[in-house]
Amino acid sequence: MVSSPNLSVEIGGLKLKNPVITASGTFGYGNELIPFYDPSLLGAIIVKGLSLRPMPGNPPPRIVETPCGLLNAIGLANIGIETFIEEKLPFLSKINTPIITNIYGHTIKDYAKMAKRIESVDRIAAIEINISCPNVEEGGMAFGTDPDIAAMVTDQVVKNTTKPVIVKLTPNVTDITIIAKAVESAGAKAISVTNTFLGMAVDVATRRPKLANITGGLSGPAIKPMALYLVHKVVANVKIPVIGLGGIMDYRDALEFLLVGARAIQVGTANLINPKTAMEIVNSLTDFCVREKISNINQIIGGLKVNGENHEKGGDKKNK
Amino acid sequence: MNKTLEEVVSIEFNRQIGIDTCLMGFRSTSLASLAKPGQFLMIHLGRETKDPLLRRPFSIHGIKDKNKLMILYRIIGKGTSLLSTFKEGDPISVIGPLGNGFNLPRPNERTLFVAGGMGIAPLFFLTQVLNEVQKHKFKMFLGFPTSQEVVLLDQLKDLNVDLSLTTEDGSLGIKGLVTDLLDQYLGQRLTKRPVIYACGPTPMLKKIAQKSFTFNLKCYVSLEGSMACGLGICQGCAVKAANSKDKPYYYVCQDGPVFPAEMIDWEVM
Ligand SMILES: Cc1cc2nc3c(=O)[nH]c(=O)nc-3n(C[C@H](O)[C@H](O)[C@H](O)COP(=O)(O)OP(=O)(O)OC[C@H]3O[C@@H](n4cnc5c(N)ncnc54)[C@H](O)[C@@H]3O)c2cc1C
Ligand SMILES: Cc1cc2nc3c(=O)[nH]c(=O)nc-3n(C[C@H](O)[C@H](O)[C@H](O)COP(=O)(O)O)c2cc1C
Ligand code: FES
Repeated sequence: MVSSPNLSVEIGGLKLKNPVITASGTFGYGNELIPFYDPSLLGAIIVKGLSLRPMPGNPPPRIVETPCGLLNAIGLANIGIETFIEEKLPFLSKINTPIITNIYGHTIKDYAKMAKRIESVDRIAAIEINISCPNVEEGGMAFGTDPDIAAMVTDQVVKNTTKPVIVKLTPNVTDITIIAKAVESAGAKAISVTNTFLGMAVDVATRRPKLANITGGLSGPAIKPMALYLVHKVVANVKIPVIGLGGIMDYRDALEFLLVGARAIQVGTANLINPKTAMEIVNSLTDFCVREKISNINQIIGGLKVNGENHEKGGDKKNK
Repeated sequence: MNKTLEEVVSIEFNRQIGIDTCLMGFRSTSLASLAKPGQFLMIHLGRETKDPLLRRPFSIHGIKDKNKLMILYRIIGKGTSLLSTFKEGDPISVIGPLGNGFNLPRPNERTLFVAGGMGIAPLFFLTQVLNEVQKHKFKMFLGFPTSQEVVLLDQLKDLNVDLSLTTEDGSLGIKGLVTDLLDQYLGQRLTKRPVIYACGPTPMLKKIAQKSFTFNLKCYVSLEGSMACGLGICQGCAVKAANSKDKPYYYVCQDGPVFPAEMIDWEVM
C-alpha cells in the first residue's frame, strides 16, 4: 500500500496543496463554478482580472472559436477592485485555498494603487500582475512588451505589498526571456507563462473580422506547443518559479508543463468547456503518482530528459 | 442562482426530421424536473474532441414523461454536423438548465408567438407548458425560408395553437416573412393587446422589438450570442443594454436568453 503522494509545491513563499491553479478570467470570481465541485481541492484560485475602476469590456462579438482554439476579445470587463472586495471576496473567503487576484492597470500608478489596496486585505494570498492582455487599448500588453516598463510595473507593485507578486507575461514578444529576467530583477516572486497569443479570424461571406475588436487573444489546445516552448525557455533563464499555462486540458498536458520545469500549472479555457477540469487534473495527478510510485510531485518538476540528462540541470536546480 | 447540473446522459434518439434539421432526445430525470421553457443546455461534443472545442448551446425543446429532454437543431457547421452523427446509446455531457427562461403569461393575457426557423424550439416547449394550464388558443406566426425546411407542423396541430405559416419563397403557407404577418396583425383594430414572445434570427427579433415599441406592446425576445461557457464566467456573450448607465452589457447566458425587448439596445444589433 503506497501512502498518498505529496503534491504540494511552493511558489514564492506561497504553499499550495497541489500545483493546479485556475487561470484568470476562466473561473469567474469563483462562485459561478461552485455547484460543480469544492474549489478547496485546488492549489489556488486566480480570479478574473481586476482594474481600479469597473470596465465595461469590448462590444460583441467578443469570442469566436477557431480550430482547437478560442479567440477572445473580452476587453477585461470587470467589476473593479472595490466591488470585488466588498461583494465577491466574502464568498471566496470560505474556500480553503489561496485566493490570488489578477490585476490590470491603465497606468503604472494604477498598479501601485491596487497593490496598496490589496495589501490591506488579509484573505488575498498573492497578486498576479497582468501586463499581457492583448485586448485593451492602453496598458495591458504594452506594459509587457517593453522590459523597462515591465520592470517598472513590477517594482511599483512589489514596493506596495508584502504579498508574493507573480508577473504574467505575454507571448507576443520576440524574446520572452528578456522580459522574464527584467521582472525577476524587479522583485517578482514568480512568473506565469503565458497569456494569450494575438490572433484574428475573418468571415469570408461578410468580409468582416469575426471579432468586433478585430483582433483577439488565442487560447486553448491550439497554443499548447508554443506555450510549452516558452515555459521551457523561461525556466532556463530565471531562478524564480515559473507557472505554466496555455492549452492545458488534462493531466497529461499538465505533466508536460511540469516536466519542462513549471512549478505549478494553470487551467484556463478548459474550465469553460468542462468546469470540473481542474479538479479532475488534481485527481489524475494523484493517481499518476501512485501508479508511477512517485512520492513527491517535485520529483517530476523539471524532469525532462534531454540527451540523457535532466532538464533541471539547465538552470532550475537550486530552487528546489 | 438557479440550480445547474453537469450530467453525462445517454442518447435515446437522434433523428433527422427535415432537411438539415434533427431532433435529439435523452433521458435525465433531474434535468427534466428543473427545466423551464426558454432555458438552454450546453452540450459537449465529446471529451476527446478538441475541434470543435467549445460546448454548443441549444434551447430545451420539450420534456416528455417527466424524464426525457429534447433539443431541436439545425445542422449549420462543424459542431451541429458532428452532433447529428451521434447514435442511440452514445453518452454526451450536458450542462443545464441554463438561463432565465420565459416569464409565463398571466391566464387572461392574450399571447402572440413569433418564431423564425429554429426559434420554434423553445416556443414549442412554452406552448406545451401553457397548454396544460390555459384553455384558450395561442396565436402563432411561424416562418421558414422554404417548405423543405418546415418542421413540426403535425406536432403543432396537437397543441392548442392558431398557426399561420410563412415561407420566404411561398412554397408552403403564406409567402413572405413572419414580420409581414405581424405588420398586418397589428394593423387591425385589436380588442385585446397581445404580449409577444419571439425567438429566431436577430434581424427578425430587431424588427419585432421595434414594432412592439411602436404599438406599445410587451415583448419578450429570446436572444442568441456567441457563447464559450454558458455559465456567466467568460463574459463572451455580451449584448448591449438599452439603458447602459448601471450595466453596459447584459450576458445572454445569465441575464437571458429571454429579455424584455426594451432592455436591449437594438441600434447596435
Ligand atoms: C441560447 C441559445 C440557444 C440556441 N438554441 C438553438 C436551438 O434550439 N436549435 C438550434 O439549431 N440552434 C440553437 N442555437 C444556435 C446553435 O448554438 C448554433 O447553431 C451552433 O452552436 C452552431 O454550431 P456549429 O459548430 O454547427 O456551427 P459553427 O461551425 O460554429 O458555425 C457555422 C456558421 O454559422 C454561424 N453561426 C454559429 N452560431 C450561430 C448562431 N447562434 N446564430 C447565427 N449564426 C451562427 C457561424 O458564424 C458560421 O458562419 C442556440 C444558440 C443559443 C446561444
Ligand atoms: C475568456 C477569457 C478571459 C480571460 N481573462 C483574463 C484576465 O482577465 N486576465 C488575465 O491575465 N488573463 C486572462 N485570460 C487568459 C488566461 O488566463 C490564460 O492565460 C490563457 O487563456 C491561456 O491559457 P489556456 O489556454 O489554458 O486558456 C483570459 C482567457 C480567456 C479565454
Ligand atoms: S457564455 Fe460565458 S459568460 Fe455567457
